[in-house]
Amino acid sequence: MTGDSIPIALPLSRLASDGCEVTALYRELRGPLLRYMVCLGLSTDEAQDAVQDTFLSLHRHLATGGSRENIRSWVFRVAHNRARNRQSSYDRRFTEPLDLETDTMQDHSTPERAVLEKEKVRELGNAIRQLTESERECLLLRAEGLRYREIGEVLAISTSTVGETVSRAIKKLAEKCNV
Amino acid sequence: MCELSGKLIAWLDGELEKDEMADVRGHIRDCIECRRQLEAYQAVSRTFDSYRDAVMASMTRRQVSQWVPVLSIAATLVFAVAAFLVFRHTRVEALVPPTSVKTDPAAVVLETAAAPKRRVHRRNAPALAKSKITNWAPNERSIQIAIPAESMFPPGAVPEGVNFTADLSIATDGSAQQIQLRPRLIEFERRTPQP
Repeated sequence: MTGDSIPIALPLSRLASDGCEVTALYRELRGPLLRYMVCLGLSTDEAQDAVQDTFLSLHRHLATGGSRENIRSWVFRVAHNRARNRQSSYDRRFTEPLDLETDTMQDHSTPERAVLEKEKVRELGNAIRQLTESERECLLLRAEGLRYREIGEVLAISTSTVGETVSRAIKKLAEKCNV
Repeated sequence: MCELSGKLIAWLDGELEKDEMADVRGHIRDCIECRRQLEAYQAVSRTFDSYRDAVMASMTRRQVSQWVPVLSIAATLVFAVAAFLVFRHTRVEALVPPTSVKTDPAAVVLETAAAPKRRVHRRNAPALAKSKITNWAPNERSIQIAIPAESMFPPGAVPEGVNFTADLSIATDGSAQQIQLRPRLIEFERRTPQP
């Protein structure tokens, strides 16, 4: 999936002014947004729909003179709320049995190491399911490279709460996975 | 347990104030316990990334595999319909004595109007009449009459392109056994009509 254009219908005159900005953000954030939402439990179709909706909102936001500050957390927040609106899908992944595709994993230098790595990922997957929703969200956003301040903006919690949540979640995972 | 161990993850993420960052860095150099913990946290973060890749891969695979049952059902249906069409014709024609179909001039097509468009219809009509006959008893005769819509309805009552066909089957004594009046779209004449 390497679509470079924005697959949404927009008035061309509007596109000219902030089109480049939206396109650049789309290229930068589409992959991370998709991964974030799929990891939250959305299907790839649902996630793609949500990403398109998000960038349509971003275009409207910029076209109507919305703030350009913290635009990355703005985009993630809109996408996050869209994912939450699909609550049933959102919860699905963490109630269904763990089904992971580990064959595509990178570290295949030796067969033993590959097996070990797969087992680790599976174990971690099970541990992630034991986390609270907020802990999972914080870790997923952190893994996408968001700062604690940005994560707080996405989830509407304070930066210090994000720090505590991330710390607690990582410690839980480290304990359970015994790494 | 070190007092700074609670700040290790924030340090790892570069989320501490400048002086705190320096403090923790200095502490890690001296404290084996904190260094061990830090390694564990780093390992968890790395495995977490692999986990996300695995989730993405499994969801993409699931999306593909979702289509497999749909496509196989569709293929089965197409095959079943094709088989039905082929075998239906074979079976029915086998039941009918060849003479009644091939040489009997039972398939008479009368047309009351000769619109140029109806040439298509006329070309298909014998085949149609034949299929009608083969579904009936072999000694019956069939007449198919095309009736222009304007001969039955006031102008404008029937949309352009709609025509009517009356199927008559006539018994050996000459009496009409069955009359069927069917509206037809001229544009769709080429399609096999449903019995």
